[in-house]
Amino acid sequence: MSEKIKDPIQARLSRFGTLLATLGYLFLLAPIFVVVPIAFGPPGDLNFPPEEFSVELFRIFFSSSDWTDPVLMSAKVSVITTIVVLLTAVPAAYGVARYNFPGKSLISGLMMSSLVVPTIVTALGLYLYFSYLRITGSTFALVLGHVIYTTPYVMVMIIAGIQKLDRNLEFGAQLMGASAMRMFFTVVLPQLVPSLIAAGLFAFLISFDEVVIAWFLSGSDTVTLPVKMFSSIRWEISPVIAAVSTLLTAMSLVVSLIVAGLRKSTPMAG
Amino acid sequence: MRDFRQASIFVTPAAIIAICISALPLLYIFYTSVEGPDFSLGSYISIIKSTLFHRTLSTTMVIAVSSSALSLLIGYVIALHLARQPAKRRAFLLILVLLPFWTSVLVKCYAFTIILGRTGIINSALDAISGGQLSMSLLLNRTGVLIGMTNYLTPFVVFPVLASLLAIDPAVYRSASIMGARPARIFWTVTLPMSVPGIIAALASVFVMALSFFIIPALLGGPRDAMLSNLVDFYTREALDWNTAAAIGMILLGMTLIVVGTVYARNRRAAL
Repeated sequence: MSEKIKDPIQARLSRFGTLLATLGYLFLLAPIFVVVPIAFGPPGDLNFPPEEFSVELFRIFFSSSDWTDPVLMSAKVSVITTIVVLLTAVPAAYGVARYNFPGKSLISGLMMSSLVVPTIVTALGLYLYFSYLRITGSTFALVLGHVIYTTPYVMVMIIAGIQKLDRNLEFGAQLMGASAMRMFFTVVLPQLVPSLIAAGLFAFLISFDEVVIAWFLSGSDTVTLPVKMFSSIRWEISPVIAAVSTLLTAMSLVVSLIVAGLRKSTPMAG
Repeated sequence: MRDFRQASIFVTPAAIIAICISALPLLYIFYTSVEGPDFSLGSYISIIKSTLFHRTLSTTMVIAVSSSALSLLIGYVIALHLARQPAKRRAFLLILVLLPFWTSVLVKCYAFTIILGRTGIINSALDAISGGQLSMSLLLNRTGVLIGMTNYLTPFVVFPVLASLLAIDPAVYRSASIMGARPARIFWTVTLPMSVPGIIAALASVFVMALSFFIIPALLGGPRDAMLSNLVDFYTREALDWNTAAAIGMILLGMTLIVVGTVYARNRRAAL
């Protein structure tokens, strides 16, 4: 495709394609281009671009418990979610990648189901089920919801990582008498560290940004940041949301850069 | 047997969670939709008769089809541009797609309320140009929903289409051009047909996502742009009619599974 362009018609077509694609990139990036300048503008007006530079919106954000409580709630839910999902989905990914057992496709299908089932249906199911169990509105309910929501992503990343490992090391360890558990902890996990970090960061980010399940499951004292944002965009457009949005975007950027860096430094990692 | 014992050590914790927190709630939706032990189809029958459901279903289909088509168009243009870049520049340009991909949907909705609102960026610009003559209603209507959804879905088109464009052997292009084909003709007879697998993968995933959109129609749309998800939310949280909410949820799940199943079956056939 990257041949030298000699034909004038072809050159014009290629310039036209670049122009269209540039408009496409601009369309995709427009939300970020708008939100970040507003976040650094003065509070009180939503003029674009803002007339002066100020960090007042960030100060308001960090000094009002209306916003910091949901941030802490989100942090709590997503940290616990990340720990639980790593503890359960990583061994499961190993079991699915390395063993055959009856009912394997049914069980792994169930673990991956939240990729296919619409999130609103997952949220509704959890809401009805947890209402029956009387745990809706608790941190516990939010964590369980986010664990099944993040499980498929972690499984996919870890399975990809496992498939790049040399299986003979695992056979060797077991021949030398290591139990399956011991082999998993001393041979498999150390080789998977980059995949584990990447999967953990993504699980954290996905849980931190998740809004539909949280909207159904959170109670008045378990409001997460996305739920708070959802209701404040719905009812009043506060410029503080621009500051929140900028922080969220920066967090996504940092996580993706770390993951991209992990991938580059260790070609073995998934 | 030894395999089974070892596998069960690794898989059991996640399997318990999958059964108790994924499978049981889904079964519970079904149980609620048929009104528990009564096993009555009453909720489904009253939905089928309800004009609100009919209107919402057709709104959902119209929005899902048009936002999928728009995002396919924009995503294809971007993927084609990316495929023609040298690897290094492509890696950089991909960040311009990955960053929006990882941006929270709420950030996008907030930004579009500022861009599209009555006193937003576009309308202020129109106002300044026309001296107060022109203004467009872009928010809390169909336009707002389509812009927001297309923006959200486009990255999901770029990745699969780019993969299938990069899989095309450059020799095919060379031979087409040696045989005298013009660029436009090469596009219609080589590039487009050979990227069909990517297009189908992209359209299926984007359409399925679009069917159950909840946040964007709730924030950028008006009352007439409510989609099935918003109806589920309404019946669950406001009307407190859980049987109806569950029945709509089952219908939405059924629609999703039909699309996913069709594409899966087609891929299986293609692989054989």
